[in-house]
Amino acid sequence: MTPEQLISQMRVKAEAVQAVVAETASLKNTFNYAIELTQEQGGSNLAGVGFAPDQMDILDALCNDVGLTLLKPPLRDHGDTIHTAVTPVSWGLAETGTLVLQSADEDVRLATMLANTHVACLRASQIKPGTESIQAELDQILKTEPATYVAFITGPSRTADIERVLAIGVHGPQELHILIRKDR
Amino acid sequence: MIKTAQDIKSYKKQLKEALQDQFLRKALGNFNKTYRENRAGVYAETDFDAIKQEIAADKDTAMPRLQALMAEFREHAEAAGTHVHVAKDALEANQIISQIAQDNAVKHIIKSKSMTAEETYLNDHLEKEGFKVTETDLGEWIIQLRHEGPSHMVMPAIHLSRYQVGELFNDVTSQNLDPEDIDKLVKVARKELRPAFLEADMGISGANFAIADSGTLGLVTNEGNMRLVTTLPRVHVALVGFDKLLPNLGSALKILKLLPRNATGQALTSYVTWIKGTNQCRSAPDHKKVMHVIFLDNGRLELAKDPIFSEALRCIRCGACANVCPIYSKVGGHKYGHVYIGAIGLILTLFYHGRENDRAIVKNCLNCQACKAVCAADIDLPYLIKKTLRMVLDADGSKSIKNFLLSKVMPNRRLFHFLLRQAYLAQKPLAKKGPLIRHLPHFFDKQHGFRSLPVIAAKPFRDRWQHLDVEVEALAHTVSFFAGCAVDFIYPEQAEAMIKLIKDRSVKVIFPEEQSCCGLPALMAAEEETAGSLARQNYKAFESSRSDIILTLCASCASHLKHYYPKIARQVGVPEKDMAAFVDKVMDFSSFMINVLGVSPDAFKTSDKKVAYHSPCHLCRGMGVTEEPRKLIETAGLNYVPCADEDVCCGFGGSYSVDFPEISAEILKQKLAGVSESGADVLVSDCPGCVLQLRGGMDKQGHGIEVKHISEVVADQLKKEDPK
Repeated sequence: MTPEQLISQMRVKAEAVQAVVAETASLKNTFNYAIELTQEQGGSNLAGVGFAPDQMDILDALCNDVGLTLLKPPLRDHGDTIHTAVTPVSWGLAETGTLVLQSADEDVRLATMLANTHVACLRASQIKPGTESIQAELDQILKTEPATYVAFITGPSRTADIERVLAIGVHGPQELHILIRKDR
Repeated sequence: MIKTAQDIKSYKKQLKEALQDQFLRKALGNFNKTYRENRAGVYAETDFDAIKQEIAADKDTAMPRLQALMAEFREHAEAAGTHVHVAKDALEANQIISQIAQDNAVKHIIKSKSMTAEETYLNDHLEKEGFKVTETDLGEWIIQLRHEGPSHMVMPAIHLSRYQVGELFNDVTSQNLDPEDIDKLVKVARKELRPAFLEADMGISGANFAIADSGTLGLVTNEGNMRLVTTLPRVHVALVGFDKLLPNLGSALKILKLLPRNATGQALTSYVTWIKGTNQCRSAPDHKKVMHVIFLDNGRLELAKDPIFSEALRCIRCGACANVCPIYSKVGGHKYGHVYIGAIGLILTLFYHGRENDRAIVKNCLNCQACKAVCAADIDLPYLIKKTLRMVLDADGSKSIKNFLLSKVMPNRRLFHFLLRQAYLAQKPLAKKGPLIRHLPHFFDKQHGFRSLPVIAAKPFRDRWQHLDVEVEALAHTVSFFAGCAVDFIYPEQAEAMIKLIKDRSVKVIFPEEQSCCGLPALMAAEEETAGSLARQNYKAFESSRSDIILTLCASCASHLKHYYPKIARQVGVPEKDMAAFVDKVMDFSSFMINVLGVSPDAFKTSDKKVAYHSPCHLCRGMGVTEEPRKLIETAGLNYVPCADEDVCCGFGGSYSVDFPEISAEILKQKLAGVSESGADVLVSDCPGCVLQLRGGMDKQGHGIEVKHISEVVADQLKKEDPK
């Protein structure tokens, strides 16, 4: 599959499981997207985790400009109050619209589990066809890392436990936004 | 508390009550229907049959190595700081877990969904030990609040309506919630359980995979509660059955291709989580999670050694066997399992929860093969259910009169056939000269009256045979006819119709007279010796007939010959390859007409009669034949009209319909309603058992639709002068 086809399949499959997919040109645009979304939803804070220090500075400045709080780690202290989580992800799996998130870092986990909304930054070049394409790398991670917590995330949290009626947003995020950034 | 009936009498009482539950019937009926209808779409891009065989092969390879895989898992997990335990039974597992809780000064425990923890009644144990335990999966939380067991392995609260959940949540929140707003009800769980997540000091999960070569657990979930259970508290305990051990990630990813699709129709669940070692956890003393994995034996290691029952350990807990089961959809999981639900539950209950809890439920199987067809691990569930029944009967040491008669009469063909002939005389006063018995004598319970019964023929096919003209000159095929009891003794006209259709087509038909019952009724009652003896007799009867094809009009006989005989070849003293050659020749009537004789429309009149088709379980699933009967109906100039659920069981199941008449009647009712809606004039099928059930039901319910064997309707369509 061509990169364009992978992006398009990723979008179709992720949207099929109630994720929102958008394309952006830069990380800064992604951050702006997350900030605007948070404001629209009436949220007052963001948790950005998994980014390099200089990238965090950009996010911090953007939050400051609009008066949103960028939550400081450890996120455990913010318990139930995280509105938006912004994180990079390792891979996208086009076949099922899945994100692969390495989350040995507790803050990555807490942000993406407790937040109302998760905004995931996915580089277009990291979209792979399916689980087979990352099997060798995942296997290496599981075998060599001393401790690991890898998550495949496919759409927002859901349940059908009451009368088999699909309801989105049980214990995990109620919205998942995937921002695909084309590599230059 | 789970209360499973321990004898058939109280079980039947429970079933009667369950059949009255209108919500349950509607909810599970819809579920069964939509699950089946959506399945094709779910597997549009995934080769279910190929992957299920790979899963079965992987599981079978792992089976004799479970101890070694556990040791390998332990080595890697311990190197990563995880404590690994082995519990020989449920009590030991529960004790290990409460000890871990005590050692870590735990007060509040949160749980994510785990069937293995249900198996050990872990919550009861921990609560008795003084711990506060909160289930966090929505369905599990609901049933915990109601003090019930799960009624489905994937959707534990599927038996409850939104109104029941609404009432429950009103109590929890002291609010007046709108039960129609399911989204709001779901948010109650989000809101109410958040404090539990934040406060708890220990989390308990199960696992779908334990990967030996890295010491990793794999968990497949949707709600996100498992991620919180394994992240927020400082202690994580995973309770994992030995059967979840896999050699490597590749095996797990294979299962992941089918598990969500089979369970909920999802390509992938919202979350699949791979956990290894002591991950960062800021609420733990040194910021490292206290991590324990407990492997539960509870009979699994013995089961793994069993040449037949080890197959049950392949189960990946997708729940699909319940989803498609016509009985489950009528009575629900609380009456169709103990802890484990559905077909696999009827088997595992004996091994994990004892014969008392399996004694009644294990009898409740139609052998319709629907579960086997959808099993993601290719488990021959109906066969194992009969094997389980036999173990229960043997251990109980009390066989029913039915079993006694089967074992005494059926192996002796002359006696058996003599008795069938006597039956013709005995029933005469009941039938009042008609072809059906509409009123049973008073010593039968009234619940058996849901269908009329056929009368035994005055002259069985085997006596009419010599009067039928079957001599042919130029020979194209030599065919041996396997009649089966129903065609031979009840419906010889179905065989005569068949002969009429093929006699002018250069086909020589042989009727080996030593043939007897195929043995399926004996197997249904777990009379394996009788089933074996009959298999041997039939093999011998056909051995010398030198035909290319063994033709049948009965899908159940055909499927039983094809699948059961090879399984027991060696036991009954027939070389496996000879038995395989024997069963390879077995063919159903429609396949013979379409694929071998290649009949053309020229031979038939045209008619505007609308014909609905019931696809017998043992033809569509047992023999894998689906196209030919429909093609034959149209070739014969008839007007085939599709109807709902053509491939759903009619509720006959041989003696099942006598043992569980209320359920049989309900399944039949639904079937006939579908046929009636299709506007058909005639309903045809290609199994005399189905014809018996359907015709009897049509007669009683007065839909006015004729029921025929496909051989009869096709023969009626023959032009007087067949051009051939």
